[in-house]
Amino acid sequence: MPASIKLQQEYGDALQVLFVECQGADQETAEAFAWRQKWMGTRAMWTTERPLEVGGNGLPAFALLDTEGKLLLDGNPLDMKKKIEAAIAEQVKKTKAAPSGTPDALAKTWARFVKGEVAGAIAECDKLGTDVALSGPAKTLHDEMVARTESTIGRGKWLTENGYVAEASELLAGLAKGVKGHADLESKVAAELTHAQDKSLAAEAEASKALASLQAKMTKDKPFEDANVKALQKLAEKHAGTKAGERAAQLAKLAAIEFK
Amino acid sequence: MKHSMRKHGGLAVALLGAVALTTAARGGDEGTRYTFSKAPANSMGVKGMADLRGKPVLIDFWGTH
Repeated sequence: MPASIKLQQEYGDALQVLFVECQGADQETAEAFAWRQKWMGTRAMWTTERPLEVGGNGLPAFALLDTEGKLLLDGNPLDMKKKIEAAIAEQVKKTKAAPSGTPDALAKTWARFVKGEVAGAIAECDKLGTDVALSGPAKTLHDEMVARTESTIGRGKWLTENGYVAEASELLAGLAKGVKGHADLESKVAAELTHAQDKSLAAEAEASKALASLQAKMTKDKPFEDANVKALQKLAEKHAGTKAGERAAQLAKLAAIEFK
Repeated sequence: MKHSMRKHGGLAVALLGAVALTTAARGGDEGTRYTFSKAPANSMGVKGMADLRGKPVLIDFWGTH
């Protein structure tokens, strides 16, 4: 099992592992490979797109970004295992820290934001920004808070549109209380939450729950053994017309991809 | 369906590198600029690297060969 998967399991949501297939396989093939290796079942994401250029084209290779997206380390992970682990541990401690360059006077405001008091933090930030000495940093922090919140709202919308209804509801409901008082964000969250909780999506919710349960089983079994493939096909049929049904059908097709 | 998983030669790797140079960004916040053209598997709504601000990101470059 790749060390990255173990790190994703260890840190959960505090770390994001992104696997980038670099030898020309398409995404379906890369996914099929990962399923067959029993690498699925964590929060790790899988793509064939390179979001970042690092030195050289040799494999294996890695890049570690800090909490603000800056490149911290890159190279051959086999040579740098302990360094990578130490750097990740350090960065995970910083996930609640204010963005670099934030003056001390705004640090507590950021702490409120991280706790979920979105509207309160933004209002406080704006108030502190009336001090000329803080106006620049306060605007930067305000923009960051809004951007992160809108990113979360965007994720909620995507989750709903792709049939992850329960996950969308949980994410957006968690945000709803904190944005009360910020008119724009409050209305955006309310709109997406209403959509996620719409009764017309009950079939999507049921299908998604069934697929999640089957996928959890697959990560423990031989993922593409006949019984699992048949279960996927049956689920796709039973929940035809739902996004989870489509995903089940697609996953069953991945089982047909073999490797020499 | 069997895939022929031949090793890619230097040309393919060089081309991949060239594409990567034109599509990925470098510079102080290089890790936040990229937007995926196709949602990664298991993305759960992450559309681009900017959505991952606030947590460290470990990019593992690997291959199916």
